[in-house]
Amino acid sequence: MLRGITRRSYGLGDICGLREWLSKYGGTLSLVETSEALGNVSGGINRSPEYDGLTQAVLQFNTQKALHWYGGTFNVSALQIHGQNLSQDNLATLQTASGIEADRATRLWELWYDQKFDREGRYDVKIGQQSLDQEFMVSQNALLFVNTMFGWPMLPSADMPGGGPAYPLSALGARAHVRANSWTLLAGLFNGSPANPNADDSQKQNSSGTNFRLNDGGLAIAELQYTYPSLGAMVREGKKIPKGRVYKLGGWYDTEKFADQEFDNTGLSLANPASTGAPQTHHGDYAIYAVADQIVWISPEDNDRTISVFVRPMGTPLADRNLIDFSMNAGLNFKEPIKHRDDDTFGVGMGYTHVSSRASDLDRDQRAYTPGYPARNGETFVEVSYQYQRLVWWQLQPDFQYVFNPGAGVPNPNSSTGQRVKNEAVIGLRMNFAF
Amino acid sequence: MNIHSAKTFILFVALLAVAVPSLRADQAKPFLETIHHRRTLISTIPNSGDLNPYAVIVAPVSAGRVQKDDVLISNFNGLTNLQGTGTTVVDYNPSTKRLTTFAHVPQHLPQCPGGVGLSTAMTMLKSGWLIVGSAPSTDGTTRTLGAGCLLVFDSNGQLAATWANENIRCPWGNVALIDSGTSATLFVSMAGFDVPPLQVRDPVTGYPVTVNKGTVLRINLSIPEGKPPVITDQTVIANGFAQRADRDVFLIGPTGLVMAADGTTLYASDALSNQIVAIPDATTRKDSAGTGHAVSKDGLLRRPLAMAMAPNGNLLVLNAKNGQVVELNPLTGEQFGAQWIDNNPAQSPPGNGDLFGLAIKPDGRGFYYVQDDVNSLLEATQ
Repeated sequence: MLRGITRRSYGLGDICGLREWLSKYGGTLSLVETSEALGNVSGGINRSPEYDGLTQAVLQFNTQKALHWYGGTFNVSALQIHGQNLSQDNLATLQTASGIEADRATRLWELWYDQKFDREGRYDVKIGQQSLDQEFMVSQNALLFVNTMFGWPMLPSADMPGGGPAYPLSALGARAHVRANSWTLLAGLFNGSPANPNADDSQKQNSSGTNFRLNDGGLAIAELQYTYPSLGAMVREGKKIPKGRVYKLGGWYDTEKFADQEFDNTGLSLANPASTGAPQTHHGDYAIYAVADQIVWISPEDNDRTISVFVRPMGTPLADRNLIDFSMNAGLNFKEPIKHRDDDTFGVGMGYTHVSSRASDLDRDQRAYTPGYPARNGETFVEVSYQYQRLVWWQLQPDFQYVFNPGAGVPNPNSSTGQRVKNEAVIGLRMNFAF
Repeated sequence: MNIHSAKTFILFVALLAVAVPSLRADQAKPFLETIHHRRTLISTIPNSGDLNPYAVIVAPVSAGRVQKDDVLISNFNGLTNLQGTGTTVVDYNPSTKRLTTFAHVPQHLPQCPGGVGLSTAMTMLKSGWLIVGSAPSTDGTTRTLGAGCLLVFDSNGQLAATWANENIRCPWGNVALIDSGTSATLFVSMAGFDVPPLQVRDPVTGYPVTVNKGTVLRINLSIPEGKPPVITDQTVIANGFAQRADRDVFLIGPTGLVMAADGTTLYASDALSNQIVAIPDATTRKDSAGTGHAVSKDGLLRRPLAMAMAPNGNLLVLNAKNGQVVELNPLTGEQFGAQWIDNNPAQSPPGNGDLFGLAIKPDGRGFYYVQDDVNSLLEATQ
């Protein structure tokens, strides 16, 4: 049971023969526990360290092994979310501190089938319940960090109905993938909301992940990717070899109805006590985005040591129906920062998000009734993280985040004078275990 | 010569003038320039769940359960991805596009010192015998590195013989073979002589200590009718190659071997020195040539591993440290170029650590290779 425990990929090994049995049918089982303790040592609306955790189980079947059918992959995954939610309890930030923070639940996550149509991997279609953060808007380097916004970004989290079909939610739909040399097109059509679009809390409304909604509006998303090196790219001796890079340009359009950020359905400000409280609605919403990942340095002595940079801006001109009209992440990763720690990575990243002018105007409207009420503008954070590969199946990640203007300048609910939430320093430790 | 003949002659010369340079250019065209397609053929994971495909060879004959031109692949890791614990050889049939387990041996095999972890040292004889090396561990690290052995399987995948002796220490890279049917000569690189533990570090480089004890062993076989091959003699024809333990890739040492077109020179990839060397008179020499002489060094090479000879006489060499295959002229050392055959951006640089074995396709119009990040057999073709 303990043989090779320091080098094997899974802490539990074969799980009493389960993995070998699955292998006979082309199956693989991945069990990953992420546990972390984070706490704000300054600023915020409360102060205390909190624990949160996530257990992910992913079961996949390769149809070639099971059915002699080339190119098919069946995937089902589930989440068990436990612990507390630091950002909600203590920070009041827009850009939440941890990508695994969510309502406590045991839920179905993804359930899909992917079919490749040629052996060169140029065409495939994926159908079923999908979480878009697994394929769209992804920056490979950003995935190192703990803050949520390095995964599914701020803009769709705030603007799409229910936060969009992304962890811990997903939506039914279909996605096509076409690749030609360096160019790849990903395009998908999904149900416009991962839960009832009229619900206040999409995670509670779809608490088991089994709503399988198809009758809402539609969410169309497309992403064009450029990758170097492409498969088959030639390199010639004596010529300068370009470093690896991936650039993406994408956009989405959702046909749902979207609430106005300032006015009710009679034209009054929602801040006005005479308002009906029912916002005006607008048909449709969209945004565009770009992602760039670029290796900028490869150690000539040891090719494993690399420095990469990334940047991911996105925006929408529709200020009337969106809380966030711009967000951006950027950062730098240093792989093997300490010589011979081959699998460690050090990273410095940042996130910025801007509250739309219409949402800020609502805050200004509020001043007529609450003098001195602050208007939200932007929120910025920086993150410094070191991922230490203790064993193949065990990572330790000390993390530091500093948030400027939390909540984009929201008043502290615990302040009798209506002061804004003070800047926050958050420290913590994340651990990943692959069982 | 009449006028008509003169016109014909002039036309012929003119055509020749146009055609010859283009023919020459075509002949000189590097093999990799003709490779335009890369296809994933199949997952190499057998029922046992073994991972990390290493050796790739093409069956030279039909025998037992193997069809001529089948692709045989050894797995170096067991189900839980411990290196040096893989015990299976799988067989991919290009016609049926099916993969079957050809051979499966116990990890603990008393006659194989240290156990079984099937490496890239694999070849199949015309008589149907399959010979594969073992560079074993029990915990996935070189802390438990055994001397290993060469295993001989019959054409139905049954273990028929095991060879272990003082010259066999972790048979590692792809095997070069001269096979006459009733006798054969194998060339096998060995990377496991007195390898210090991972924890013993070179104070200058900080890497595990390198020892210059890697060898290339020539093994002459006789192959009695209906019986397993027998070693008739063995000679260390090259030694002094750099070798060391590695946390991620287990062992680094002399790896790829290819017999030159002259039938006497052997090319070897010297991974740690980042070079390809030539060992003269490899088929006949009675002593060691040391590390031979360098044919090509650095340039596009990034820790060279398995090698194969392309139909145009150039060497194809897989890089460990990126997803490229390099083409070079073994006579002049000129490197013509490299092609990305694995561009997985999840590794940095792309494809880093994914490649190991390769074999030229029977029609000469491409090659097979494996990617251990996705545990798959692939082909690159014209």
